[in-house]
Amino acid sequence: MALEFDRSIIGQVFDETSFPAVTTEEIVDYALSLGETNPLYIDEAAAATGPYGGLIAPPTFVSKLRAQKFTPEHLPKFGKFGFDGGRDLELYTPVRPGDELVMLSTIHDIYEKTGRTGSMYFIVIRNEVRNQKGEKVAVIDHRIMQR
Amino acid sequence: MNTFYFEEIEEGDELPAIDFFLSKDGVRQFAKTAGMYFPRFTDDEGARAEGLPGMIAPGVMSLGLLARMISDWNPAAVVKRIGTTFRSPVLPDRNVHLRGAVTQKNDEDHTAECDIWMENDDGERWVIGTATVVLPVKA
Amino acid sequence: MAHILDMHLHSEASDDSRAPVEAYLKWLARKRDERPLEGLVLTEHRQFHAAGDYRDLEDKYGVLILKASEVETDYGHVLVYGVNDDILKRFDFKNVRLPAQEVISEVARMGGIAMPCHPGRPTIGLIEHYGKRPPLEGVTGVEALNGGSKKGENERVAELISQYGYHAFGGSDSHLVSFVGLCATEFDRDIKNMDDLVDALRVGGYRPVDFRSPRPQTQVAPEV
Repeated sequence: MALEFDRSIIGQVFDETSFPAVTTEEIVDYALSLGETNPLYIDEAAAATGPYGGLIAPPTFVSKLRAQKFTPEHLPKFGKFGFDGGRDLELYTPVRPGDELVMLSTIHDIYEKTGRTGSMYFIVIRNEVRNQKGEKVAVIDHRIMQR
Repeated sequence: MNTFYFEEIEEGDELPAIDFFLSKDGVRQFAKTAGMYFPRFTDDEGARAEGLPGMIAPGVMSLGLLARMISDWNPAAVVKRIGTTFRSPVLPDRNVHLRGAVTQKNDEDHTAECDIWMENDDGERWVIGTATVVLPVKA
Repeated sequence: MAHILDMHLHSEASDDSRAPVEAYLKWLARKRDERPLEGLVLTEHRQFHAAGDYRDLEDKYGVLILKASEVETDYGHVLVYGVNDDILKRFDFKNVRLPAQEVISEVARMGGIAMPCHPGRPTIGLIEHYGKRPPLEGVTGVEALNGGSKKGENERVAELISQYGYHAFGGSDSHLVSFVGLCATEFDRDIKNMDDLVDALRVGGYRPVDFRSPRPQTQVAPEV
């Protein structure tokens, strides 16, 4: 299959999702499921005396945010199955309990490569996460592999 | 847990490895807390229906585990950037090994560039990546 | 100047690596006892990195740095050494379905050499394609030791080599700084530049060398 699609789709915001306020429990559960022992992420009392004056989420917490629309409506399917090819996270202001996060999604790039499983199409979705104060929290590039 | 300063690390330092048995229950637990309770991450049958050899761990779990290795190494390290490539499906019910090394130090912004990766018992690197971390400096 | 070269690695010029060339060189300098390399061949994905100028780094670190390419063909991935303007005019390196036979034959005619890499790998390795279609004409050697291989992928290559009489070489296929030089190639003759390398790869007198340390037995914690 040739890599043919309307390139004007790149860079356009196709989704804006607002999330309910982040809870302490959500942060602690996430951290514990990774085996984290860092008090900044799991111990409210200890974190209160630390550099942030309270609990923060581990840096990769933002990777669990899911947009309502995963890809734009008119994006062709390049393969039968989709797999997670990788993530790149740029991190700015940490996530704290009570944060109301908003995520904007754009298609950042689409390209083709060959790998162990044959021809693969990579769709790079860029998610920009901001908090209720308008501060930039993270930019996530998510490489989805279709084959 | 020990925090330490930018001045105390060297290019070439290895991050303390994490070696553990990745259980299916551990993966399900992560999938639940990460809001990813989907068949490919929870049972073998569901995963096979999606063209996979069996149930796999979410890529973002590997990402999170590699970030945890940095947090274990130095709880005061602030991750500014972390990027991972999922080269191969991560199959639970076996040992995995998290590894890392400091490859570059930048004196201007007190950051360290680290290689990070996950491998299996045979040394196959299932996930590879890099991270940029800011370390505290001595007053 | 150089007898032991890493024949396959990716710098930040490749889309899937962030490794600066100088970081590779510093890492090698630090690990010289374990990985006694004298040369690196940068094989960037689907391109020839014409703009990369590493002469100052060569002088600073005393390591030969050569530039090549890794292209994608209908018989899997192929490393192209001795890339020149004629070759770049003839083939679009960005094309992920280059005709392998033409790449092998034409690159040789134009003064370079094209060598299949990781032949034991599914889809992008030569062996799987040899099972379905006629073997390629004019292949002189293959990458028999690749640092990014999964279990069994390097092992499958021995039979291919004995059947077709190919020469064997090795490369780390490093995308991360710390993996540089773990697999490499030892040449009988002194390699001073790309012309020497292309000549040597044609006639033989080289073999893969493995600098990976045996895996330590690790204590494994029961769970996360």
